[in-house]
Amino acid sequence: MTNETNSKTASVDEVLDKGEYKYGFTTLIEADTLPKGLNEDVIRAISLKKKEPQFMLDFRLKAYRKWLTMKEPAWPNVRYPKIDFQDISYYSAPKPKKKLESLDEVDPELLRTFEKLGIPLDEQKRLSNVAVDAVFDSVSVATTHKKKLMEVGIIFCPISEALQEYPELVEEYLGTVVPIGDNYYAALNSAVFTDGSFVYIPPDTISPMELSTYFRINTEETGQFERTLIICAENSYVSYLEGCTAPQFDTNQLHAAVVELVTLDNAEIKYSTVQNWYAGDPETGKGGIYNFVTKRGKCAGDNSKISWTQVETGSAITWKYPSCILQGDNTQGEFYSVALTNGHMQADTGTKMIHIGKNTKSSIISKGISADHSSNSYRGLVKVNKGATNARNYTQCDSMLVGDQCSAHTFPYIETANNSVQLEHEASTSKISEEQLFYFEQRGISRENAITAVINGFCKEVFKQLPMEFAVEAQKLLTLKLENSVG
Amino acid sequence: MSESAVKKTESPETAVLALHEKFLGGDQAKASLRPVNQAGIERFELLKFPHKKHEMYTFVNTHQLAGTAFELAADSPVDTAWVQSKIYPACKNSVLVFVNGAFQENLSDLSGLGDSFKIRCLAEAVAEDEIKQTLLDSLEDENDVFAAINSAFVHHGVWIDIPAKATFGSPLQLLYVSTGSASAPVTSHPRLIMRLGEMAELKMIVAYAGTRENYFINAVNDFIVKDGAGVTFTQVQKDDAESWHCSKTRVQLHRDARFFGRNASSGNRLTRHHYEVRLKEDGAELHLSGASVLVNQEQVHNFIRIHHEAPHCSSNQLFKNVINDKGRSSFDGTVIVDKGAQLTNSDQLINNLMLSDEAHADNKPNLMIFADDVKCTHGTTVGQIDEDQLFYLKTRGLSQELAKSLLTTSFVDSLIQTIPFPDVVADLDEILLKKLEAKHA
Repeated sequence: MTNETNSKTASVDEVLDKGEYKYGFTTLIEADTLPKGLNEDVIRAISLKKKEPQFMLDFRLKAYRKWLTMKEPAWPNVRYPKIDFQDISYYSAPKPKKKLESLDEVDPELLRTFEKLGIPLDEQKRLSNVAVDAVFDSVSVATTHKKKLMEVGIIFCPISEALQEYPELVEEYLGTVVPIGDNYYAALNSAVFTDGSFVYIPPDTISPMELSTYFRINTEETGQFERTLIICAENSYVSYLEGCTAPQFDTNQLHAAVVELVTLDNAEIKYSTVQNWYAGDPETGKGGIYNFVTKRGKCAGDNSKISWTQVETGSAITWKYPSCILQGDNTQGEFYSVALTNGHMQADTGTKMIHIGKNTKSSIISKGISADHSSNSYRGLVKVNKGATNARNYTQCDSMLVGDQCSAHTFPYIETANNSVQLEHEASTSKISEEQLFYFEQRGISRENAITAVINGFCKEVFKQLPMEFAVEAQKLLTLKLENSVG
Repeated sequence: MSESAVKKTESPETAVLALHEKFLGGDQAKASLRPVNQAGIERFELLKFPHKKHEMYTFVNTHQLAGTAFELAADSPVDTAWVQSKIYPACKNSVLVFVNGAFQENLSDLSGLGDSFKIRCLAEAVAEDEIKQTLLDSLEDENDVFAAINSAFVHHGVWIDIPAKATFGSPLQLLYVSTGSASAPVTSHPRLIMRLGEMAELKMIVAYAGTRENYFINAVNDFIVKDGAGVTFTQVQKDDAESWHCSKTRVQLHRDARFFGRNASSGNRLTRHHYEVRLKEDGAELHLSGASVLVNQEQVHNFIRIHHEAPHCSSNQLFKNVINDKGRSSFDGTVIVDKGAQLTNSDQLINNLMLSDEAHADNKPNLMIFADDVKCTHGTTVGQIDEDQLFYLKTRGLSQELAKSLLTTSFVDSLIQTIPFPDVVADLDEILLKKLEAKHA
C-alpha cells in the first residue's frame, strides 16, 4: 500500500473512532461517490447505503479479508500495466445519462455502426440515449415484459432490490457457485459489488420470453462490479441474454463481474452473451476496457442443463471462463464461443467442465479469430472426477488467423480419473483457405464478401445457438469488426 | 514452498547442495567440467524443486523424488552376462555400455561402426571452447530443474561427433545400466552430446535397465543435427519398477534435418521424458512418438516443447498409453510457432486407453501460434475399449477375454510396430504386451 492510501485509511479510521453512526460515517453514507480506495469502512458504507441485511455485510467483509491475502493472477496469457486497486472509487450513486435532443447530436461514428448492424431507428435512439417520444416509451419493452413475468411468478430485478425483498433466496444461493475466495477478482467483486441482476424462476415454469439485461438497465450506467445470480428451480427453463451488439463505452477501465447460475432438478438455463466493449485505440491499444469476469453455473439437480453461448468482440483484455459444475446425475453442460480479437486486443477465454455426477455430458465448441496485432487464447479444463461414471465430453476449439502479426493459442487441460469416460478433444489452427476464396471470387463475389462468408461459416455452429435476432446482429458485427483488418 | 517450511526441516534443496559439495570434494568430479558443474548448481538453486502448482509439473508428483536423499552412484562391478543379455543382437558390434553413468570400455564394442564414428569422453572434449560453450549455453535458459542437476553432477558423459555424409550399417545402441545400491538410494547423471555433420545419418537406440531397485537415473541428451542430416532416436525405458527416471532430450534441427524420436516406457515410480526441439532452419522435420503400459501405481509423463523457428518445417507427435490399476499417464505438450515461421505443418495426437476406474489420464496439448499461414492441429482422446469393436470380434467367435486382450494389445502394438528395429520391437512386445497379458490372465 502506498503512503497516500495509508493516510486515507487513517483518516477514515479516525472518524470511525468517534462511534459507528456518528458524523464522520454519515458523510461517507451521504456522499454520492465514495472517495477512492478500499478498506473495511468503504465496504460497510456500501452495505449501509444499499440497506443490506447483516448477512450481506458479513459476506462482503469475509470476501474482503480473503482478497487481502490473495495475489493478482499472473498466469493468463495477457499483458497489461499493473492496476492500482486503491485508485478506484468503489461506489457512486447511479447517475442518469445525459439526455440528447435528437440523433444529430450522436457521434456519427456510432450512427454508422448502428446502420451497419441494422438496428431500427427507435432502438438507435434508445441505445444512444436520445429522448424518445412518450408513446414509444410507455409501451417500451421493459414495462410490458415486466408485467408478463410477474404473472408467472418470475422474479427479475436488480440484485440490490432482491437483497431487500428476497434476502432468504439470495442468502441461500449467493456465493455457492463462485465462493468468495475463488479467485482474486471474484473476491474483490464479492466485497464491493453494487449492481447486477437477480433472477428466480419458480418450479414448473417456462419463462414466457427471453430475459435480457437490456431491458433492466436503461438509463443508468452499468456498474463496474456487476453481480448476477440466476436460480432456475425444478422443471423450469429460462433463456437469459446479456449485453448487446451495439458498441459500449464506459469510463471505468476495470470490470470484474461475477455471474452465478444454479439449476435444480430438470431445470435448464441458457445464457447468451454478446459483448462489444470498447477495445481501446486500434493503433496503440490504449484506453480499452479490462474485462475480468468469473462466470460459473452449477447443475445442482439431476437432469439439469446449463448452456453458455458467448460472442466476444470487445474489451481490450478479456479474461473469462464460463464454466459448468455438473454435480447432479445426467446433467449437461455446453459452451459455445466465438472470440474475435483485432487491433491490440488480448483474449484469454475458455471454459471449465467439472464432471462430478454420473452420466454427465459436456460439449465445448470454441472458435477464435485473431486479426491485426491481437492475441487470442483458448484455455479450457475438462475434469472428470472419480465418481463421474459414463461421463462424456466433446471439445472442439478452432482458431483462425487473419494477418501475420496476430497470434492464437490453445491451452486445454484434460484430467480424467474414471475409466468409463469418453473424452474427445480436437483443435486446429489455420488461416482462411485461399482455395475457398478463389472459388468465391471465381463466382464473381468480392474478396471482402467472400471472407465474410467464410468467417460466418466458421462460426456457424455457435451462431445457431444464439436467439434469432442476436444471431443476425452477431454476424454483422463480425463483418464490421473485420472490415479494416482484412486487406 | 514457504520460507517457514524450509526453515523447519532440512529442505530437499539443501540435501542436493550438500551432496554437490561432497561430489566436488570427492574424486569423481573432473576439473575440466567444474565450470559446468558450478553453472549447473547455480541454475538449480535458482529453479528449485517444483512445488505442487508449478505449471511445468502440474501432473507430476515429484515430491517423493525430491524428498529422497540420494547418494552418488559409485563405479561398481556388474554381472557381465546380464549386461550382455541387454545388448540387442543387431547392435553387437556397435554398443556403448554405461554403468551408473560411467562408460565401460570392456563391455562396449564399436568395431561395427568404422572409423568415421568419433567418440570422446566429455571431460576431455570440454577443453575445446566450442563444446564448453555448448554446454554452458544449454544452462542459460534451462527450465528443467532435473536437467540442471544433471549438469551440476556431470562427470562421465560422452561427446560424439559424426562427420559429414557418414552413414552406418548397423544401429548404435547406448545401454545405461543402473545397479542401485543395497544401502541407500543412488543417483546417476549420464550425459550425451551428439553433433551430426551435413547429410550424416545415424540410427540409435538408448536402453535403460536396472539390476536393483532404488535408484534415480537422470539423463540428458543433446543433439545438434546439421543440414540434411537425420537421426533415429529410440528410447527404451525398462528400469526397475521401484526406480525413478528422468530424461531430457534437446534437439537443434538445421536445414532439411530430420529427427525421429520414439520412446517406450514400461513404467516405474516416475518416468519423465522431456523433449525440447528447435526447428531452426527451413525444411526441418520432426517426428515424436511414445507408448506406455502402466500398472500398479506407475507413472509416465511426457513433457514436450517444440519451437518452430523457421518456415516450411513440419512436426508430428503421436502418443498412446494403456493405463491399468492406479497407473497415471500424463502429457504436457506445446507447439510454439514463431512469428515468420510460415507454412508450418504440425500435428499432435494423444490416445489413452483406461482399463481401471482408479487410473488417471491427464493431458495438456497446447498450441501457441504467432504466424498466420500454418496448419496446426491437436487431438486427445480418453476412453475404453470400443464396444462395437468388441462386438465385432465376438461375432467372429472370439471370447470376451480374447477379444478384449486383442484390442488392448493392438492399441499399443500399432505404435510399437513402427519402430524400425526388429530387436527392439520383439523386446517391447515381450515387456509391454506381457504386462497386459499378465493382467488378463
